[in-house]
Amino acid sequence: MTKSKITLIALVMMALLFTTTTAYAKVYLDIFGKSFKKITIGIPPFKGETIDRSRIDMSELLNKDLDMSGFFIVAPQSLLDKELTDEGVEKQEIKFSNWKSIGIELLCKGKIQKINGDLVLEAFVYDTLDGTLMLAKRYKTKTEDWRKVVHRLADDIMLAITGEKGIMSSRIVFVSGGRSRKDVFMADMDGSNLKRMTNYRSITLSPSISPNGRYLAYTSYREGRPNLYIMDIDNNREVYTDRTDGMKTGTTWAGNTIFGYSHTLGRYSNIYSLNVENKDKNTAQRNDGIATSPSFSPDGTKMVFVSDMHGSPQIFIKDLPSGTPKRLTYSGTYNTSPALSPKGDLIVFVSKFEGAFEICTMNLDGSNQRVLTVGGINDSPQFSPCGRYIIYSSNKGGKYNIYLMLFNGESKKMLKFTDGEETQPKFAP
Amino acid sequence: MKYLTLLFAFAILIIYGCAPQTVQLTPTEQKQVQALQRGDDTLKNRDKKTGIIEEELAARDKTKEWSLKEIMENSPLKDVYFEFDSSTIKPYYFPKLNEIGSWMKKYRNIKIIVEGHCDERGTIEYNLALGQKRAEVVKNYLVNLGVDDASIKTISFGKEIPADSGHEEDAWAKNRRASFKIDQKG
Repeated sequence: MTKSKITLIALVMMALLFTTTTAYAKVYLDIFGKSFKKITIGIPPFKGETIDRSRIDMSELLNKDLDMSGFFIVAPQSLLDKELTDEGVEKQEIKFSNWKSIGIELLCKGKIQKINGDLVLEAFVYDTLDGTLMLAKRYKTKTEDWRKVVHRLADDIMLAITGEKGIMSSRIVFVSGGRSRKDVFMADMDGSNLKRMTNYRSITLSPSISPNGRYLAYTSYREGRPNLYIMDIDNNREVYTDRTDGMKTGTTWAGNTIFGYSHTLGRYSNIYSLNVENKDKNTAQRNDGIATSPSFSPDGTKMVFVSDMHGSPQIFIKDLPSGTPKRLTYSGTYNTSPALSPKGDLIVFVSKFEGAFEICTMNLDGSNQRVLTVGGINDSPQFSPCGRYIIYSSNKGGKYNIYLMLFNGESKKMLKFTDGEETQPKFAP
Repeated sequence: MKYLTLLFAFAILIIYGCAPQTVQLTPTEQKQVQALQRGDDTLKNRDKKTGIIEEELAARDKTKEWSLKEIMENSPLKDVYFEFDSSTIKPYYFPKLNEIGSWMKKYRNIKIIVEGHCDERGTIEYNLALGQKRAEVVKNYLVNLGVDDASIKTISFGKEIPADSGHEEDAWAKNRRASFKIDQKG
């Protein structure tokens, strides 16, 4: 993890003064059920004695975060009249019936203070039905990290209500650019802190980051042909490269040291699994024709991949290191770009379907295949670490953009980080 | 006075004695001289021969000079196109590839790169692999004709560099291709 993240967590842990919380008593949403009802939440502007816009900026950002989560209907600010927004944050100061009467089921109140360049945020979440306290937390951080602390609160609200932390503190690594010029970038979920990770006057593709955020892998044409590079992000050192003939791409990780990629050259294609630290390299799959797009389970015991060994591109699964590949897709003539959910229950992939290329999911045995998108060329789907969200790119809007949606296809949101065409997104710590 | 006259006569005798005379050659010496005279002629002929050699050398240099430019003007290196999701060479292209094969065997110092490309449909990753296959089938075809394996490199660009940026079949058909470049470095 980066130093500033450690600092933030240390500050949060140090300054956390808990009042009682019944946060884990109920799980309000069973989101792995077939379909769920979203919960309406109201978040009035935070209270505080600060003169600047922080209280409003922060509550607005929290509104956006919970809206993006796909589990909440966030009450529009126009619905909240002065009587409601003037109210205090403590339980005894709140008239829950007022909130209930306008359809708000959960209420989040916040109070901020600025002390010696530090920002202190106290947040409370109540069930308006009976005033039950769902969450009560105090966070302390540097004033300039106000966005980080709001994202942390959003993730904690998700944890309290749905039983799993949210993704608003995550980052996304992706490719941006245009014809003949593509580079790797990284940004926060909310679009801030955009970082350029490569700067070659060339095409660079298929990035991925190890779960601990230490290594960045990608394929780049910067030396004239597609070579594979693994870089140590902190010191920008090359940790491993493959400069042999042929196409080397499709990077994936199992844990922080096992790295997978495919090599297409000659009659046989190979998928390799490489230990980044001791450089041990094994063949995870080898067949006539094409074998590519590997995706490992986090513990490295399973791999899904694409092969045309049966005549057309289809998706296979096998146990590592040496199981027999089992074909999973039988519908249609084009099934590619698979990714295993870290939760181990689903595979997301792309299927050519009625002329379009759609994002689909299926179980690990190939059953229950579902189509989640509607039209266009959709590509490169990946799960979030919690397995609840899928991120992907799509040209449905005319040019390639990155989209976020729930694992069941609901709550699709476009994310935008740069002015270029954005593709191949992956979650990063 | 007598001595001077004698001395004078003696001097004259000596002077005349040293005067050049017609060399009387032995038969061997005569042959040697004749050989030398022939040698002069042979040298002249050798110059003529050298002239021819030099001309030939000059001709070869000129071949190399206009080789890249002229060869490219007359080059048969035209794109080969594929069906969707296919890396099979359509028989329609066999004559064109045969022509390329002959041309490469004629200009044995030429090295080429075969690039494999795809249309915009499908996924980025799979198209990178498919492009490699397209480049390789073309290379294999030429190698089977007798072209040196080491004179052909393959590189895939997947769907990253379309020839036509349109979004319908006309454009797509132009993008599913193997194209050729002269390898300047190799």
